[in-house]
Amino acid sequence: MIVTEINRLFGLKYPIFQGGMAWISNGQLAAAVSNAGGLGVISSINEGEEALRREITTCRSLLHNPDFPFAINVMLMSPQAQAAADIAVEMQVPVVITGAGLPTPYMKKWLAAGIKVVPVVPSTGIAKMAARLGACAVIAEGGESGGHVGDLTTMVLTPQVADAVSIPVIAAGGIADGRGVAASLMLGAAGVQCGTCFLTAKECGVHANYKQKIFQAKDIDTIVTGKRLGHPVRSLKNAFSRQFADMEYNTNLSDQEIESFGAGALRRAALEGDVQNGSVMAGQCAAMLHEEKTAQQIIVDMFAQAEHVLACAGKFLTEEESHA
Amino acid sequence: MIFETVAKILGEYKDVDPSTITADATFASLELDSLDTVEIVMSLEDAFGIEIDMEQPLQTVEDLVKLIEAKKA
Ligand SMILES: Cc1cc2nc3c(=O)[nH]c(=O)nc-3n(C[C@H](O)[C@H](O)[C@H](O)COP(=O)(O)O)c2cc1C
Repeated sequence: MIVTEINRLFGLKYPIFQGGMAWISNGQLAAAVSNAGGLGVISSINEGEEALRREITTCRSLLHNPDFPFAINVMLMSPQAQAAADIAVEMQVPVVITGAGLPTPYMKKWLAAGIKVVPVVPSTGIAKMAARLGACAVIAEGGESGGHVGDLTTMVLTPQVADAVSIPVIAAGGIADGRGVAASLMLGAAGVQCGTCFLTAKECGVHANYKQKIFQAKDIDTIVTGKRLGHPVRSLKNAFSRQFADMEYNTNLSDQEIESFGAGALRRAALEGDVQNGSVMAGQCAAMLHEEKTAQQIIVDMFAQAEHVLACAGKFLTEEESHA
Repeated sequence: MIFETVAKILGEYKDVDPSTITADATFASLELDSLDTVEIVMSLEDAFGIEIDMEQPLQTVEDLVKLIEAKKA
């Protein structure tokens, strides 16, 4: 078994979070992950407040044990942030994962309600601020990941965040197998958060075309667009992302025009299955995923491999000097 | 006095002459994104010996000065 502070802090069998995914991670996926011993996360970016309440209720009804934890993801720059923040308190959600900024305005309320808060951080500065606000852990998310991305890679961000704060760090971005889990622990993390690999889980309701597109992806198939707008996004290359990239370089177009071209694009791909004209957000690790598995199998396989590679790591240590 | 210190720290961060920084300059015009803003706020906390909660988004240098004035008062 691999046991870290994250298992203890959140009451998990495995120190793994399923990252919140707008329009995609619902109560069903979150419950599957939490039932498998990880932390399932429900996205609050969906059809609105009622939908969020419904997904939380669905998740609870599917949990094998009412004590299994789960979380909701609050995207701080979203117009729905305030409503989602209130629902977390009202429905006594055990954990909140925040994205895109610092959760300063909501922190007191959440902590008073006994909610554990875990912000996703793209830099050491944000990590320190989050720790000071009372976060119980932080997620260091590198730019390999799918969805909204920062500049730093998981490889360099994780150890620096681990040095910057005394609370546990969870590594995210590019982790899709046991080697990634083992490496994250070596970089100073006490757990991992995965998005792209759970996109392909059997219990994930994303459109079948979306999953197929991920299974077909090669290592070089993702692209980052939206830098010009200040919120870069990583997705798979397709007609939509290529056109978005072209538009970004076209100085005749206003930011407004580009924003509106991008609006609704994730929903189009994830729900309607239009993987040509929609945004198929996915991380660089998409190419490492080949088959649909249950959330349980994803986690079991990942941690079995992590244990194996960690157990074998001693082979690199020797008393002898190499003269090769 | 507070403004001068803010300008000095911003100047060091951006490697520009502090006298070119005006109170109404926006962080965007200084090419500082939200991550830079956090770094600058932390330097200012050290300089003034205070804690700054970024409850409201900061737009201009003046916003920052006012926040520090309120904390020091
Ligand atoms: C389709 C998709 C949508 C995402 N949406 C969100 C979101 O709404 N909020 C958030 O905090 N992170 C979001 N993420 C990031 C994930 O929560 C997670 O941190 C990331 O996927 C980890 O990197 P990986 O994709 O390499 O596993 C999204 C990722 C993907 C792939």
